[in-house]
Amino acid sequence: MGGDSDVGQPPLKRQKLSKPSHKTPCEGSRTGVAATGSAALMARSICSNDGETVGSHGQIRKVEFVRIIEQALFSLGYQQAGAVLEEESGIRLQSPAVQQFREDILAGRWDECVATLSEIGVLEESTYKAALFLVLQQKFLESLEASNTTAALETLRSEISPLGVSTSKVHQLASFIVCFPEDLLAKAQWKGAGQESRQSLLEELQQLLPPSIMVPERRLEHLIEVALQVQREACVYHNTLDHVLSLYSDHRCSRDQIPTRTLQVVEGDSLKVKYKFTGHSKPVSFVAWSPDDTMLLTCGNEEVVKLWDISTGQCKYTYDKPNSCFTSCAWFPDGKRFVSGGGDKCIYMWDLEGHELEAWKGARMPRINDLAITTDGSHMVSICDHKNIRIYNLEEKTERVIEEEKPITSLSVSKNGRYLLVNLVSQEIHLWDISAATKDLPKKYRGHKQGRYVIRSCFGGTDYAFIVSGSEDSQVYIWHRWNGELLDVLSGHSGTVNSVSWNPVNPHMFASASDDHTIRIWGLSNRPMPKKHDEKPGSSNGFDHLVNGGTRDLLENLRPFNSDTD
Amino acid sequence: MGRLYLIQLDGRIYSCRHCRSHLAQCDELVSKSFHCRHGKAYLFNTVVNVSVGPLEDRMMTTGKHAVADIFCNSCQQVVGWKYEVAYEKSQKYKEGKFILERAKMVDGDGIDTFHFSDGDDE
Repeated sequence: MGGDSDVGQPPLKRQKLSKPSHKTPCEGSRTGVAATGSAALMARSICSNDGETVGSHGQIRKVEFVRIIEQALFSLGYQQAGAVLEEESGIRLQSPAVQQFREDILAGRWDECVATLSEIGVLEESTYKAALFLVLQQKFLESLEASNTTAALETLRSEISPLGVSTSKVHQLASFIVCFPEDLLAKAQWKGAGQESRQSLLEELQQLLPPSIMVPERRLEHLIEVALQVQREACVYHNTLDHVLSLYSDHRCSRDQIPTRTLQVVEGDSLKVKYKFTGHSKPVSFVAWSPDDTMLLTCGNEEVVKLWDISTGQCKYTYDKPNSCFTSCAWFPDGKRFVSGGGDKCIYMWDLEGHELEAWKGARMPRINDLAITTDGSHMVSICDHKNIRIYNLEEKTERVIEEEKPITSLSVSKNGRYLLVNLVSQEIHLWDISAATKDLPKKYRGHKQGRYVIRSCFGGTDYAFIVSGSEDSQVYIWHRWNGELLDVLSGHSGTVNSVSWNPVNPHMFASASDDHTIRIWGLSNRPMPKKHDEKPGSSNGFDHLVNGGTRDLLENLRPFNSDTD
Repeated sequence: MGRLYLIQLDGRIYSCRHCRSHLAQCDELVSKSFHCRHGKAYLFNTVVNVSVGPLEDRMMTTGKHAVADIFCNSCQQVVGWKYEVAYEKSQKYKEGKFILERAKMVDGDGIDTFHFSDGDDE
């Protein structure tokens, strides 16, 4: 005893001296391990309590730190390592009473459980009673299932009801006595006697009891994941496809994760014209690809809507209405129907054969400026009377109206169908949450110029973390969606940039279309710059799934194949 | 050029004579008794589809004002001006309002009107 405590002394002293500073303990205890004995263990565990902190800010309590490490080791399956750590540090993951309690619960030794519960630690009256109730409830239900009604009744009478916890629950339990064991499982929403229900009982108790007694499961993993999440959100330029972040260093993407360099300038004939669709008598102002990319809808500026088949180049149908002045259209995600709206104050739903499926009209319907359908087909968003955003829930047939103060020039919906983006004439872009019931203020993005033209913007990057827009000062603006910070302003175009479109599968590429008759493809700045191509008149007013031509022709790419079709 | 964003108005409206884009609603009319170099002019509370030019000080019959010419968004013609600042107290009511020249507008129902040149500057 004397020898042991001698060996125990130096580490003790060392620890007491160096209390306020950093990671002292382990070195000290390692030397003590060689001659470890129960006395040394106890001596160390006494002093290594309360007060000692770990880490450079002194925010982490050493006891808690070691305990969650032990828990992580045990849950990974390294029982021996965990046991050694417990011994070395003198800090047990859980007191022997708790250990016993856990085993009793999993084995179903209810009376021992009740006894241990009172020994576990200092518990508040209400917590103690609630925990006791849970344990006894399990005992009760198990007896019932085993058709041991008398034992169950006994438990209910003498143990559960005197607790005085939740009389309604007690009545409910009493009602279970009078049903068949088969119905019991369904009625009580209970999984039946066995490991599974006992495990879930354990988890419920864990949530109930204070964490210092029973450390919540997987605590260390949870803390690390929270830290990674914070790093991810703080990373302004985050635009990578991989989900797993390294633990070795703080995650921080650099600016070269967003496309800032022009990869390609596409001018006119460099895209080989596959088809020229003629047939509209007014300028084509709106174009929409079908979700399966086989068909194209085109809308004249306050004119008819035409459906084109891409493989044949034929106009399959012309959708007309008296006084047709359609301005925009949107596909349903099933690719079989679409809606169109315009200045005649009606929205029509059509199918591919030219049949009108549904119409929204009436005295209260306003003039429609822009339409979109969310990718899950649940909401139809329309811009009405320049200033109102109407979000119509197609399944529930309910509507939500957001009133903007200034006129809206364009609308764009995010791919996950939760957000919408509107460009305003007042040189702001507003981001609204479609499903939010409350009238939250939208996120606003400023800095670009617009006033005369329809300028389009869109979401981009992995997780749609970026907002990108064209501008009348010939530049492309990129903002960070969450904090509204203007990340980059890209120059290159020599005319108003009308429309942008981010590559849906490659988060490092987007395209912009401008009044200087070119389309630019933008990518990461460490890629080589490819060649330029020749000129051709005909300005472009949009890109990808949205090309608004200023002329009557529609230019498309791919194989050299010129054919005029109607 | 790109796709112009033009606001459509309802009801009785005044449109640009040249390109017929909507300029103002009858409800927004404040006064018909203004004059400009080319004839009559109307004072409106708000107008749409115009862009504002550079600000300059001008001496008018009613005093010195800071005004900016306004141009129709689609055809770029000067259609009037906007009062930014009125230096005389009695003229303060005009601040922030717009003048549209009668000669540059057509009425909602499309009937052209004559313009008489009175010769006075406003």
